Amino acid sequence: MGDFSVNLENLISDLRRIVGDKWVVTQREFMEGYLRDETPDPVRPRAAEGLILVKPSSAEDVAGILKLANANKVPVFPVGGRTGLVGGSVPIKPGIILSLERMNKIEVDRENIMAVAEAGATLGDLIKAADEAGLFFPPHPGDEGAQIGGLIATNAGGSRAVKYGVMRNYIRGLEIVLPTGEILSLGGKLLKNNTGYDLMQLAIGCEGTLCVITKAVIRLFPKSKVMVTLVVPFNTRSDALKTVPEILRSGVMPLAIEYVQIREIEEAAKHLNERWPVQRGFAQLIMILDGASQEEMLLRCEEISEICESNSAMDIMLAETAEEQSRILRIRSNIYTALKPHMIDILDVTVPPSNLEKLMNEVDVIAAKYDVYLPAYGHAGDGNLHVHIMKEGVTDMRMADRIKSEIYKAAVALGGVITGEHGVGSLRIKDLGLVLSEKHIEIMESIKRIFDPNNILNPNKVLP
Amino acid sequence: MNILVLIKQVPEIEKVRFDYEKGRLDRSSAGAIINPFDLNALEAAVQIKEKTGGSVTAISMGPMQAVDALRDALARGADKAILLSDERFAGADTLATAYTLASAIRKLGAFDLIICGEKTIDGDTGQVGPEVAELLGIPHVAYVEEIRQICSDKIVVGARMERNKYIIELRLPGLITVTKDLNNPRLPTLRDKLRAMRAEITVWSYKDLNEEDALQYFGLNGSPTRVIRVYTPAAEKRKSQVLSGTAPEVAQKIVQILRESGVLG
Repeated sequence: MGDFSVNLENLISDLRRIVGDKWVVTQREFMEGYLRDETPDPVRPRAAEGLILVKPSSAEDVAGILKLANANKVPVFPVGGRTGLVGGSVPIKPGIILSLERMNKIEVDRENIMAVAEAGATLGDLIKAADEAGLFFPPHPGDEGAQIGGLIATNAGGSRAVKYGVMRNYIRGLEIVLPTGEILSLGGKLLKNNTGYDLMQLAIGCEGTLCVITKAVIRLFPKSKVMVTLVVPFNTRSDALKTVPEILRSGVMPLAIEYVQIREIEEAAKHLNERWPVQRGFAQLIMILDGASQEEMLLRCEEISEICESNSAMDIMLAETAEEQSRILRIRSNIYTALKPHMIDILDVTVPPSNLEKLMNEVDVIAAKYDVYLPAYGHAGDGNLHVHIMKEGVTDMRMADRIKSEIYKAAVALGGVITGEHGVGSLRIKDLGLVLSEKHIEIMESIKRIFDPNNILNPNKVLP
Repeated sequence: MNILVLIKQVPEIEKVRFDYEKGRLDRSSAGAIINPFDLNALEAAVQIKEKTGGSVTAISMGPMQAVDALRDALARGADKAILLSDERFAGADTLATAYTLASAIRKLGAFDLIICGEKTIDGDTGQVGPEVAELLGIPHVAYVEEIRQICSDKIVVGARMERNKYIIELRLPGLITVTKDLNNPRLPTLRDKLRAMRAEITVWSYKDLNEEDALQYFGLNGSPTRVIRVYTPAAEKRKSQVLSGTAPEVAQKIVQILRESGVLG
């Protein structure tokens, strides 16, 4: 049994009554995995002592838990797959960790081309369920162990957002539980809905501060018959990046356009004991395209090829088999894991796509000024850049903070924002003012009070 | 150096479904690709050609759809591709397949080296390569994971057998089968892919092989293998159990459980 405040200790029997004895965990050693997310160690907030882990099986369970917590003013920290990068799900105060992992059912409605998924189902589960129904969930918003609730609560983006958008673009309906215990059903299997203020859009991206998402209606798409991945090496960053808007303008709309540099992508391949298949150029674009037939696909590849060649591409490499394509995506997705042990923080600044090159050049200037290594890569089609602040050359956290601030200011000056996909969580709160006006933050605070009058839900996240 | 690469078109294993009732792969459920080990064979051949000059010919036996695999081989560096396709080749086991391939190789004439993947991901026997070598009367080494040296009349390779690695010098002409550890197959360029889409693929039928009165060696006729039944073991789910007691007691229980389940003897 952990060391709990009296207030919390008194709740244990009620919690057991709601979800069953087995699903209330009070021993610290059985909740270790729930105390952290994927945020790099140097900046990740530490979990509080005195926590209870509760695993409900229904929206009614969640409502019962929240009513109880609200009446006793006990903080509740909803967690999903804990794959976030800004400490959003870390339980930083004594209270309840609410894991929805038991709520993991998915039903696919082929008639409406939508899935109804409970919050605890994983991205991997959703991809599989869609596939088995002959349908397709186009984006790849992060780790496949991420849970639907978390993906929606953080409005996750990922690499395949160019053509069909981020998580928000797929969500048609939500079932949510308010901190005060009411269950609300928002939207539905609808493609149009103009009935009143759209609270569903507020819930999407609320990072677990306004409500607990328990179920979602998610739009799917027909399965692409053919999918290919192109890897295009360039001698310079400039050549690679000026290719991107030209491709987007051409009407050939890839699912993803990723920008990587050879040093980091080779590092990621090495980390996985693999070899990056294209060993040329300083900068590379990775593009994923889908289409109805191989002929159509190759025609579109030819169009892209002409644009790339007019921008001095060294070659255009083509991966067609599922194995080759998933290897490329796997290596790309592991740049973060390869760099993580040497990393202080990962940023996800986002600018208008045409300003991405300027932003990267600014990052180079900042790296030179501080004499540090700031590896950067990102979702070039979305103007979303991951800049890593590495331990190498950074003497203390104040220096890391100054570097981060300069990168943020550079992004904002280019019409951008400090976070395009990871969200605010714990880490970005003090920088909100760089992007949002005082009035904007004031309205956010008012909204938070309306939803959560006792500030029990994921307190001190998103807002101070 | 004149190198031949034997390739097979197989279902894309990451997508293919298994028909549990019929006990076989539902080949219509997925696209077809070059057997992944054969890509390592092709890559090895192309690397040797880049060093020594010469040509790489890809040969496959299969239905007409297998031209797609051969086009892919052309995009990945083969200079020429030959498909062996005939109703009379159908239903072949490894022996009849090897016989057909060996006949085609004889018809082609002189060669220096034949490279195959160690096995295919759908058949998994690893027999065809060595059988082709035996039928042609040339030396062979299987499971090659390293090519140390090659010149006009010999090749020195490292081959893995169980825990041991053997360094073997092989007289040429000869045949090797290669593992995935040998190399990382390159991606084709888009330009080569488009060129390969328009390339001519030579197709040889039974008649083209100049094997008169040899029908009994081809296809089902030439296949002594009989598949009686294919079955899939039922998938076992993870069973969890929480044990309590002192550490020695729990250790004892674990040993007992492992004994009962046959993990420990």
